[in-house]
Amino acid sequence: MSTKPLDMEETSNVIERNLAPLASRSEYVLEVNNFSVDYGVGENMVRAVDNVSLNLSRSKVLGIAGESGSGKSTLVYAMTRLLRAPGVISGGEVTLNITSDVDDHLDSSVNLVTASEKELRKIRWSHVSIVLQSALSALNPVLRIGHEFDEVLKTHRSKMTKSERRNRSVELLKMVGLNEDRLDRFPHELSGGQRQRVMIAIALALNPELVIMDEPTTALDVVTQREIVNELNELRSRFGFAMIFITHDLSLLVELADEIVVMYAGAIVERAGASELYGSPRHPYTLGLLNSFPPLHGKRTELVGIPGSPPDLADLPMGCSFAPRCPFVMDRCTHDSPPLASLGESGRSVACWLHATDASVPVPVELSRRVADQVTGVTVLKGLA
Amino acid sequence: MKNLRLPKSPKVLLGLAILTFFIIMTVIGPWLAPFDPNSTQFAPLLLPSAHHWLGTTSLGQDIFSQLLVGARATMVVALLAGIVATILSMTIGVAAGYLGGFTDDGLSLLSNVFLAIPGLPLLIVIDSYLPVSGRSNEFVIGLIISLTGWAWGARVLRAQTMSLRNRDFVEAARIIGEKRYRIMFTEIAPNLLPVLASSLLFTVLYSIGAYVTLAYIGLTSTSVWNWGTMLYWAQANNAPLSNEWYWFVPPGICIALVGTGLALVNFGIDEFINPRLRAAGLTSRQRRSLGLPRRARLGLTPVLRSASVKRPTNTRGSLVVE
Amino acid sequence: MSNQVNAPVQLSARHLSRHFTTRVPGRLFNAKHVVRAVDDVSLDLIQGHVTAVVGESGSGKSVLARMLARIIAPTSGELELEGAPIRVGAKRTLDYAAKVQLVLQDPFASTNPVHRVRHSLERPLLIHGADKNDVEALAKAALTRVSLDPPERFLDRYPHELSGGQLQRVSIARALCVRPDVLLADEPISMLDVSVRLGILNLLRGLCDDEHLAILYITHDIASARYLADEIIVMYAGQVVERSRGSVLVDDPTHPYTQLLIASVPDPSDPTSQASQKVERTTFALAEVGCRFAPRCPSAMDICRTTNPPNFQVGEGHVSRCWLHADKPEVAVEVALPERRREGESTKT
Repeated sequence: MSTKPLDMEETSNVIERNLAPLASRSEYVLEVNNFSVDYGVGENMVRAVDNVSLNLSRSKVLGIAGESGSGKSTLVYAMTRLLRAPGVISGGEVTLNITSDVDDHLDSSVNLVTASEKELRKIRWSHVSIVLQSALSALNPVLRIGHEFDEVLKTHRSKMTKSERRNRSVELLKMVGLNEDRLDRFPHELSGGQRQRVMIAIALALNPELVIMDEPTTALDVVTQREIVNELNELRSRFGFAMIFITHDLSLLVELADEIVVMYAGAIVERAGASELYGSPRHPYTLGLLNSFPPLHGKRTELVGIPGSPPDLADLPMGCSFAPRCPFVMDRCTHDSPPLASLGESGRSVACWLHATDASVPVPVELSRRVADQVTGVTVLKGLA
Repeated sequence: MKNLRLPKSPKVLLGLAILTFFIIMTVIGPWLAPFDPNSTQFAPLLLPSAHHWLGTTSLGQDIFSQLLVGARATMVVALLAGIVATILSMTIGVAAGYLGGFTDDGLSLLSNVFLAIPGLPLLIVIDSYLPVSGRSNEFVIGLIISLTGWAWGARVLRAQTMSLRNRDFVEAARIIGEKRYRIMFTEIAPNLLPVLASSLLFTVLYSIGAYVTLAYIGLTSTSVWNWGTMLYWAQANNAPLSNEWYWFVPPGICIALVGTGLALVNFGIDEFINPRLRAAGLTSRQRRSLGLPRRARLGLTPVLRSASVKRPTNTRGSLVVE
Repeated sequence: MSNQVNAPVQLSARHLSRHFTTRVPGRLFNAKHVVRAVDDVSLDLIQGHVTAVVGESGSGKSVLARMLARIIAPTSGELELEGAPIRVGAKRTLDYAAKVQLVLQDPFASTNPVHRVRHSLERPLLIHGADKNDVEALAKAALTRVSLDPPERFLDRYPHELSGGQLQRVSIARALCVRPDVLLADEPISMLDVSVRLGILNLLRGLCDDEHLAILYITHDIASARYLADEIIVMYAGQVVERSRGSVLVDDPTHPYTQLLIASVPDPSDPTSQASQKVERTTFALAEVGCRFAPRCPSAMDICRTTNPPNFQVGEGHVSRCWLHADKPEVAVEVALPERRREGESTKT
């Protein structure tokens, strides 16, 4: 059984994206197959990422949504082999399809799981870069900002002279809307938003094909977040890189991403185009998550969110890991874990027994809406508690 | 309250083993000693033999008995001095760190003065002022040793307290109306246990050194046997020059071993006291059997050899079902 | 302080300010720099009502909360607890602690990791005069009140054994143990997982309605403020820039900062309304003179740069500190009158 490849070009979007010509390639920039990550081995092993498969087309944005313990951060760090001990990759492969800077015929595919240290070093930053959650702890507090840029450029583009590096650094800063004088400052002299922009600029320094962002705006206020997201969209349209954006803020992803993957307890529970996910969620967890954001407009009524709390990965229940909190739980859910199954509509899949072809109960109305019916924030779920 | 599990680190286990050995010696030593350490009935300067395991001194005393009996005074005084010094440093350090202002200034001045004055000369001076009766009281000696040994710990604890002072849970305690001294000793101090334990070990180490030195110089009463007194007598009778190694080497080694044991335990003390800090790493044997590199390297997340992976029974899959 | 609502005012603040004096690094003379963390803020906390303060970091909202809890002293301004004025230099009394409690943002930081939950609940009970024999039962009752059932399961746990949501409930239970009249909550949900946030908000609403507490809810998330509060106050750079009853200012923002805030919130149901600020905000440059928001304001006029605007009454119970509304009447003390939750809206059980 092979995973039906996603063709993300068909996913409809509410927001028009003005993409660079690179988008004409229909290849994927990233293919992840049956990827699993554990913490520890043997008796005390905890499975943090369980058999995840996903694809990302060039110049598209994949949003990964989830809460603590969902495995979203572990997934991307392990994918790029940056996960710290005691994390261990226990299966699967991660293929990055890179384009050569020099010659189109030299395009190649690299399996990051089996790559050697030398290969990884070549790939990192030139073809895939990562923006960490807290810029304050990612930037060296005793070094000036300019130094960080210099390091990256020196390491990967050894042929550049000092003044060329300086010019490139200034260019990169201007690109994210910062003034040249920031180069001579220390990280603590910049505001949170500025630091995050510096991180983005450094991530784009070598024009990678894939940029991974781990909750880049979580620690920032909403106005700065808006500025940065706009900045990112602009940069994407200029340079055409693909992006993986991780956050717990599903409403942000609906605006920003082309496709969204919702993770729970280490596995993907739903995968769909952004506006489809928002308009017609199919997994009870997705529905609960969407209802956890009080709306800004519309009638004020009581919302319930999801009762209980995210699970302890070391002590997962039998069957579906969401079953203890699910308002639509059936008997089958507590025995068998539902596989991620394609829903027949283009690109959508969900891991839920409610949507299995042999389901004994009809799909609840909340989980069978069509795209056209927008959620107006009035759904009240009676929880199990 | 805390789960006390044996630490896995070989260093710490070795240190614990050494200390346990000497603690046992302290407790049952005098009882085990074959002869009275004071009795001069034997032939002088005998080499180690089955009869006298460590030989005899120039006065005909059995060295092994002296060693066993001497363990008690040495260890007890060192421990006592360590505990008193640690209590002093905790009280002064936490008070200075938490209360701030003039209290902090005053107490810091006090600890800086005690830090600046070299410990041993100060000890010698204080000791020489003691009446002879005082000098033969080991508790008094222990107390004055602790007087010179608290300052360093106080500084460390003050710094730790200052960083804890701004933590939310201290603010929360203030908000519900907790009194200051209760905050210091029931909220802050328990969080300082790793530092306190480390400070205690370090201070005991210092105290052994100080006590032995005082005894070696002859400033303590010679009627109480301890390892320092043995060294005093050995030195007085030119044992080192006469190559009577069996006289001065055993006490020296014992002192060194106790010090080593304390230092080794100090390594693992954080992990031991706070179970949450225990690293979830794998032992090297485990790593090898799984095909993982010997040391964890940043930027190179290891990949398991699939054969040895134990899958949990509850695997969620992403198999596609049409 | 009279108001038309029947419920009594528990805590009243007028013209609270807090200034910090720092040194500008690198200068020998003229090095004093005054940071006005909170500047001329007035509010009433009324029994059975939730007042929300919305602002980003640096807006002074946390300092405000601590001034109301009296763990920071204001530089100027007055406080009244149940009508009785608090003397300016007075120390915080146990009696004040019994009436006004504060819940902090990070549940894992605000509980002592070496003590069990039991200790966190027993201390406030004992400090405020509970009998030793009753303490266990009272602690269990507090846990039940915050929906941690059965309480025995939680009493002997350590903080790190609980989830963020559970621990925040313990924090709230701890505050409730003293039986306060006022509960100040400083960003109580921002460090929690998304799916548990609503549970805590509903709990707060329930406490407000059932136990008649006066609640101050501080947040950076205007959507949650709208969900929970009877009155919303928006702060910027230490000042109140807009306030209104209910969600009036969310539907009809009159201050440019509020408008920017609302436009910046991701709203998937309305994707076309994305405003974007092109001006780069520098770290220290807050306008010393004039309106603090002027450097970032798209509608800034000359007067904005020279004089700080007063409060204007732009609607019923709706006040805005902006020169754009200079045609409206000025208000000296800008306390909006809260209105009861609208009829027909459900209250939390």
